Amino acid sequence: METVTDVRTEPVPVPAAVERKRGKPFATEAWNFLISLKLAIWTLIILALTSILGTVIEQNQPQDKYRQVYEDWAYNLMDRINLFDMYHSWWFLLLLCLFALNLTCCTIDRLPRAIRTVRKPKLILDDVTEKSLGLTERWKSKGAVPQWAEAYKAALARTFASPRVTETDGAVHLYAEKGVVSRFGAYATHAGIVIIFIGAILGNVFGFKSYLSIPDGTEASHLDVRGGKEHLDLPFAVRNNRFWVETYPSGQPSKYASDLSVIENGREVLRKTITVNDPLAYKGIWFYQSGYGEAGGATAQVSLKRPDGTSLGNLSLAPNEPVGIEGYGTVRGVKYDENYQGNGPALQVKIEKPGQPASDVWILQGRPEQDRLRNDTLVFSFGGLTSKMYTGLQVAKDPGVNVVWLGCLLLTAGMMISFFVSHCRIWIRLSEGLKGKVEITAGGTANRNRPAFEKTFAAVLTEIRKEPSDNAKENPA
Amino acid sequence: MNTLNVQLFDLTTFLFGTATGSYIAALYGKKEFLARIGTWICAAAAIVSTAAIGIRWIESYRMGIGRIPVTNLYESLVFFAWSINLFYLFVERKYGSRSFGAFVVPIAFFTMVFAFTIESGIQPLVPALQSYWLHAHVITCFAGYAAFAVSAGVAVMYLLKERRGGDKVTGGVLALFPDTKVLDDLVYRAIAWGFPLLTAGIITGAAWANFAWGTYWSWDPKETWSLIVWLVYAAFLHARITRGWHGRRAAVLSIAGFAATIFCYLGVNLVLSGLHSYGG
Ligand code: HEM
Repeated sequence: METVTDVRTEPVPVPAAVERKRGKPFATEAWNFLISLKLAIWTLIILALTSILGTVIEQNQPQDKYRQVYEDWAYNLMDRINLFDMYHSWWFLLLLCLFALNLTCCTIDRLPRAIRTVRKPKLILDDVTEKSLGLTERWKSKGAVPQWAEAYKAALARTFASPRVTETDGAVHLYAEKGVVSRFGAYATHAGIVIIFIGAILGNVFGFKSYLSIPDGTEASHLDVRGGKEHLDLPFAVRNNRFWVETYPSGQPSKYASDLSVIENGREVLRKTITVNDPLAYKGIWFYQSGYGEAGGATAQVSLKRPDGTSLGNLSLAPNEPVGIEGYGTVRGVKYDENYQGNGPALQVKIEKPGQPASDVWILQGRPEQDRLRNDTLVFSFGGLTSKMYTGLQVAKDPGVNVVWLGCLLLTAGMMISFFVSHCRIWIRLSEGLKGKVEITAGGTANRNRPAFEKTFAAVLTEIRKEPSDNAKENPA
Repeated sequence: MNTLNVQLFDLTTFLFGTATGSYIAALYGKKEFLARIGTWICAAAAIVSTAAIGIRWIESYRMGIGRIPVTNLYESLVFFAWSINLFYLFVERKYGSRSFGAFVVPIAFFTMVFAFTIESGIQPLVPALQSYWLHAHVITCFAGYAAFAVSAGVAVMYLLKERRGGDKVTGGVLALFPDTKVLDDLVYRAIAWGFPLLTAGIITGAAWANFAWGTYWSWDPKETWSLIVWLVYAAFLHARITRGWHGRRAAVLSIAGFAATIFCYLGVNLVLSGLHSYGG
């Protein structure tokens, strides 16, 4: 049963190969199979069904994890058919290839004809065409053919589209069309899909993905790629000046940020603060904020004052690393207590002065003036621990990504054209009738959304038929 | 105590429930005026829910975390129901038949009932969700889903009517349905809206992933399910243009597509695990 709806008013033409002579049965059969829409439908459905598997079975997990869940025989079977990395398995890729092949062959089969129909449109409204049209209207007017042809030509151009004029014996034909691109929407969509595939392949072949952890204040330029199997040295280094987290008043994180510099030949060539959703790009390599953590031991912040209150700045004490103070001695942080004798966070420092025995002193974070009680030449106060952070960067190079975006653009544009642009055609034939009258036949058709076109057609004809210059009286048949 | 926007959404839920009741009663009692009441209630629900979305938006600014309300499960559900309702009202007007109501408005109603049962507060956005791509992604996806909901509702009508002999039925509820040809056409048209929207949704989602993580596609369950939905509707479109595959098979594909849509939307979060943060 053929239901021709008003949305898609023209059935898809039967593939050319079907009409071809069946010289080589097998080759023809194979070709017919490859270009068939039936294959397309089944491939789409099978791709959809098999894709489900990979969402039910967690992909790319460590072997042990699967062994815990599945019996041995099931594990072996699933491993054999690559179900643990199914989207990269040979059979899934084969399915994708079949899909791409189907699409390509179908295009090879149909596109040339679509181009031919568009480049060589039916310019003449003959009887056969007239009968095939859903919309026609006839009327007669007094006057001469050339005069009316001129008038209608101008009117069509004004109300619809500029027509092409063809003269045959005794008749003049006007042909005007709009929305020809509608014929190519589906092809653009399909081309978009193929281009996305190409982009994905380019990215997989020429790109890489990696991960870098860079502690605050240090730089990195060495990458592990392909799951650590290969190594790569970047032609520049990335320095993490600082990583930090900002929070909402509720304490939830609102922002992860890293202040990064690109160092090339010992010089900083670029500096940018990246956040999630706002990466850094340099020479085609992208750095994404993707993780963070504490990098090794925390440092204690200690401020120095003279007894009279003048500040002498801050010390950063790494665990057990002595720091010298000129004219005083050395000091090192030795112990940290979150709640020292019920007085909150505190730091124990060891003070060593030349020629004196070392002394251990506790300084409390909550009591900055307490250390005055020692009556030393310097007063220490503890500002708290800061831990050194590292930033985790996802590193990616994907030379195919712009190709993918191009494909996406074409895909979407093609779809919009396919669904929302209609190829509307209007013909007008003028021929010499009896008694000095001109016989006029107008016809129209559209490849989609017929109700809308019916309105357009009626409106155009009304406009056109108003056209007659005052000296020629109309006479509808 | 809920804030104003949530109270308005609760009112919307109630309105959808009443509208569903009137549409169904109208079909069974063959009382056109009941269906007309349904339409008025849906129009009221459209106004109330639009206001609620606006107020929620403003409230989020008052809380210092201003953003379009499309960023958590609750907000996406109400946006989905809002789109279904608008889409439905448009279709009802355009096709001049209120019989669709009994099949489409319940979907909006159940969506809101589900929303009613979950956390409805305005939460600040975690860093990964702070992206304009995300907003575009959610809006296009859910507008697309709404179109699929309409299509599936109509596909059910098509199948019911076709099973009883199609347009030859006289009398009974089915006689109130539009012709099978009109239904079949509407199943397609709704998808012709939904499919480009879903496509745009998948693409904006890929763009978001690319800016946030450096991969536009990673086969995580949510992504894969959106692809599955997309493939089913692509199959539908091609089924429609092939001899012997439209009508009933196309209607079945539309329903299958909507089932996959619902699973993609909720099932993935409730049943499977993945990167996506909705539903938590
Ligand atoms: C996911 C993959 C695909 C998508 C998204 C897609 C998309 C589309 C769209 C949007 C249309 C226009 C539909 C309409 O007018 O109702 C179309 C038409 C068509 N597609 Fe596809 N397509 C896909 C795969 C395929 C494949 C594998 C084939 C292989 C045979 C194919 C063959 C066709 C044909 C023959 C048409 C009709 C063209 C015409 O208007 O003359 N498509 N496709």
